[in-house]
Amino acid sequence: MIAAADTIPFGAGGLLFIALYLVSLIWIGWLGRRARQENTLKDHFLGGSGVGFFVLLLTLFATQYSGNTILGFSGKAYRIGFSWLTSVHFMTAIVVTYLLFAPKLHQLAKKHHFITPTDYLAHRFHHRGLNLLATLIMIAALANFFLAQLTAMGRVAEGLTTLDPQTAFTWGVVILAAIMLVYETLGGFRAVAWTDMIQGGILAVGFAVLMVLIFKEYGSMQDTTRRLLQIAPEKVLPPGSLALKNWVSYIFLLGVGAALYPQAIQRIYAAKSSATLRKSLALMAFMPLGTALIAVLAGVTAAAHLAGELQGAGSDAVLGVMLRHIQEQSLFGHVVVVIIFAAVLGAIMSTADSSLLSISSMVTKDLYAGFVRPDASQQTLTRLGKGLSTIFMIALAALAVWLNNSGTQLTLVQLLEMKFDMLLQLAPAFIIGIHWKGMRSGPVFAGMFIGLAFALSFFWVPDKGEGWMTAIKTSGFHSGLYAMLLNAIIAVAGSVILKRKA
Amino acid sequence: MKPAHTYLSWRIWAVYAVLFGIAIPWYWPADDVRMLLGFPLWVVVSVAGSALISCYTAWLFAFRWPLDDEEDAS
Repeated sequence: MIAAADTIPFGAGGLLFIALYLVSLIWIGWLGRRARQENTLKDHFLGGSGVGFFVLLLTLFATQYSGNTILGFSGKAYRIGFSWLTSVHFMTAIVVTYLLFAPKLHQLAKKHHFITPTDYLAHRFHHRGLNLLATLIMIAALANFFLAQLTAMGRVAEGLTTLDPQTAFTWGVVILAAIMLVYETLGGFRAVAWTDMIQGGILAVGFAVLMVLIFKEYGSMQDTTRRLLQIAPEKVLPPGSLALKNWVSYIFLLGVGAALYPQAIQRIYAAKSSATLRKSLALMAFMPLGTALIAVLAGVTAAAHLAGELQGAGSDAVLGVMLRHIQEQSLFGHVVVVIIFAAVLGAIMSTADSSLLSISSMVTKDLYAGFVRPDASQQTLTRLGKGLSTIFMIALAALAVWLNNSGTQLTLVQLLEMKFDMLLQLAPAFIIGIHWKGMRSGPVFAGMFIGLAFALSFFWVPDKGEGWMTAIKTSGFHSGLYAMLLNAIIAVAGSVILKRKA
Repeated sequence: MKPAHTYLSWRIWAVYAVLFGIAIPWYWPADDVRMLLGFPLWVVVSVAGSALISCYTAWLFAFRWPLDDEEDAS
């Protein structure tokens, strides 16, 4: 999905900069290991007693904004124009959704020493089936997210060297995955959060440079808008009714779904204090204006000035094409390209490492300690967590390389792309359950199970034809939202009925 | 003890409904080509609405964080 520039081989200076940047990540991993306080799960997966304001802000930022924010968002804006301002709204909606559960969840996490999102569910509902189902949903969603980041790493590597694309992809995935594995195994959450500071920092710089570049290289916005109005007016005019339904749907789907990402929930746990968390979230509210908005403007600018150079799926490479144009012009252009590539790499790696750590925490704590060996010692579990990270990394990196080299489309991978539709099914348990004491475990489990099955069943529903499921699928609203509504009705109505019976 | 603030107040979500109502460009004529600052007018209003949502959200987090000692919902 994400394709970087395929023809921007770097010079020696650029490659040296990227190499130094990658080595610094391993050094930070080592620092994280030195800062380790104890050999426990909480220390490895949450950084012990928690992280302060600055680290929390940058780790929230770097984790939430992936390679897709730069490459995918600009690509989509290139295709549909200003209407992709939707992305600014849904990225803001994620922070708004935290109002609904973050304060209380943080308070509970500190009091009861939660490590994984399922720890909250176990504490609140005491239902093993619910624990298992929620854990599997989160692992499936994250595995997909992780796989997408590994693929993005391969694409960036293709753009960095003069090697043939397949070789560059394979080596890119292997080397970058190995670096992540080393620093994550060394320093756990601290290494991930501290490298996020560098990655988030360079990502912010990258967006700032990108904005300067848009205006410096392509003239005024007025010129861009007028030009686009002539060649593709639909990219300038207000969106139509179906696009508006989609707009609202995205706000709910991503706003709520992405707020429930396990690694995001674990950052709510990891905040040192509520003051730290609230300050970080307050600043996070402004991030979409400095990131998603810039990516949209870059895409729109490309649509006006590079029209016709890219078509279809390949248009996610629009930023790469812009960079190539700029690189050809001056030494400044070369520097800009190196910075933006480093920013893209930072965005991808910071999202990937936190996903991996979150997956291994859930498999270790929720599945192994929860169902297989509840009496395992902290040392055993921490060792297991690190071993699992290695296994997942190798397995998913091999899968990413195989999928790329063979060009295979796996149904399972396509199904997992419905990750937000899946994550949304956690919403009633987290958002309603945390406030309403009357919510019962049985109906919550039934709602989540039926909601998940309903959401996934749309994968097999045709896009055209008769039938109410096709009507839902083509309504402009994501099927996951209908499923979440059904899920919430079952959870709430079931709880009310049980209460009356009692 | 009753909490000083809660994010579950209907007033907060009514404000959000109004702000998103402004930011989502549902009320513009389909052929509106008016421009402001080099952007389509509807884009300026949509971004401004989004900026207001950010400001309001930041304000809620910074100054209206629920300060309660309420026992958890288990």
